[in-house]
Amino acid sequence: MTRLTCPFCGLRALEEFEFRKTLPNAGDSPFARTYERIDSLTESAEHWQHVHGCRAWLEIRRNPSTGEVLCTRLLGGALP
Amino acid sequence: MTPTPGYSAWALLRARLAGAGYWRPLWTGRRLQEAYEIVVVGAGGHGLATAFHLARDHGIKRIAVLEKRLVGYGNVGRNTTIVRSNYLYPENHYFYEDALRRWATLSRDLNYNVMYSPRGVVDLAISADEFPAMARRGNAMRLAGIDAELMDLGALERYCPELAPRRTRRFPIAGALVQRRGGTVRHDAVAWGYARAAAALGVDIIEDCEVTGVRAAAGVAHGVETTQGYVKAERILFATAGHTGMVGTMLGVPLPIETHLLQAMVTEPVKPLLNTVLISVFPGHGEAYVLQSDRGGLVMGGHLDGFPSFTREGRWDRMEDVVAASVDLLPQIAGLRIVRQWAGTNDMTMDGCPIIDRLKYDNVFLNAGWCYGGFKSIPASGAACAALVATGNPPDLIVPFRLSRFETGHLLDERGGGPFPVRQ
Repeated sequence: MTRLTCPFCGLRALEEFEFRKTLPNAGDSPFARTYERIDSLTESAEHWQHVHGCRAWLEIRRNPSTGEVLCTRLLGGALP
Repeated sequence: MTPTPGYSAWALLRARLAGAGYWRPLWTGRRLQEAYEIVVVGAGGHGLATAFHLARDHGIKRIAVLEKRLVGYGNVGRNTTIVRSNYLYPENHYFYEDALRRWATLSRDLNYNVMYSPRGVVDLAISADEFPAMARRGNAMRLAGIDAELMDLGALERYCPELAPRRTRRFPIAGALVQRRGGTVRHDAVAWGYARAAAALGVDIIEDCEVTGVRAAAGVAHGVETTQGYVKAERILFATAGHTGMVGTMLGVPLPIETHLLQAMVTEPVKPLLNTVLISVFPGHGEAYVLQSDRGGLVMGGHLDGFPSFTREGRWDRMEDVVAASVDLLPQIAGLRIVRQWAGTNDMTMDGCPIIDRLKYDNVFLNAGWCYGGFKSIPASGAACAALVATGNPPDLIVPFRLSRFETGHLLDERGGGPFPVRQ
């Protein structure tokens, strides 16, 4: 994984982006949302920001075992 | 074939007289039995150390250590070998100090040379504003009876001349917090030494045996499903480091853990250059730690790759950060070539501190969440975790590392970075 696609800027180098956090996936309580995670070998849903670019916040789903990006969308935007 | 009895000067002489065939494998292949008193999952540093202490200190006879790949394939063979106990919080520094004291005598305890080298650990301050924080940490350590020295440029120059702290740099060095008893330990020797000592006490070390599930009924675990068949166990310990998240998924228990990569690299070997371990942490500048291995290569590491991953490949721009920060510290290494680079999967917790506790069932235990501090804590973790598994009661040293601390708010957030594993 060396590049990511920004909906505004297109394919850009990984170092322009910053990983912010994984999306809560373990439960609905405030505690679970804050602290608990269910690790998956095949899919991780995350918030990233195109910090050194257009500064857009993105939701990226990736395969953490291969680095393959499964889908990217603008936070709050529709799924592709 | 029985292993070689013991290592000593006398054994060297006997081996010389006996000729070829005197030295035997460190531990011999054992077959997986149907049932064990304790099954330890994961033959890394923590799993092997716990098995060793269970057998030696608690006299437990039927122990198996199950390993998916090979002994020492994971983080115990991928770290940068640094040992230290320079933490601020009492919960942390007493625990890591227990480990550091055990490192000093470990070669004798295991009858295996782990090459503990107390060459000092130098935490560099890049601005005068960092000094009060370092002084506070140093004072907290000294109050606990741990050695810590706040050094100005003159003292630092005498301690590590090669660093030339007064040299003009982009980020000039302001001083350092030094722990002289910190240093390095040969990481592979730790895995092999513990495996050999545990096997000599009758522990079955089974490689190429992946645990795929836990069988349980009425709130009690009865055994583990493995790729080599079902094994009954009265108690089960998971010490699976970078794959602890998978254990949570397997048992259906969410854990406060994310898996991140940490990479390290080593240059071609050169003559003795650096007499200590240099650590420089400066947000925005990059983070680097540099030491010279006994073989002569400069070993360098830095911050996490920065996003969850199981690939065990480091990202290239992080490698560049680490090299840039290392060359800023030691410009004289700029011409060296990097000969190896690798990464390990780190079980990062939400507060940067480990978890040693029961997990879901009364007879299932977890030793995990070591973040990037797993190697230096192996001897303390092994002894304390063995006491927990053998007696059911955690020793005082590891009570703060209970899993429920996240729910009760007793976090050990040494860095104060919030519930974000990537910032620990």
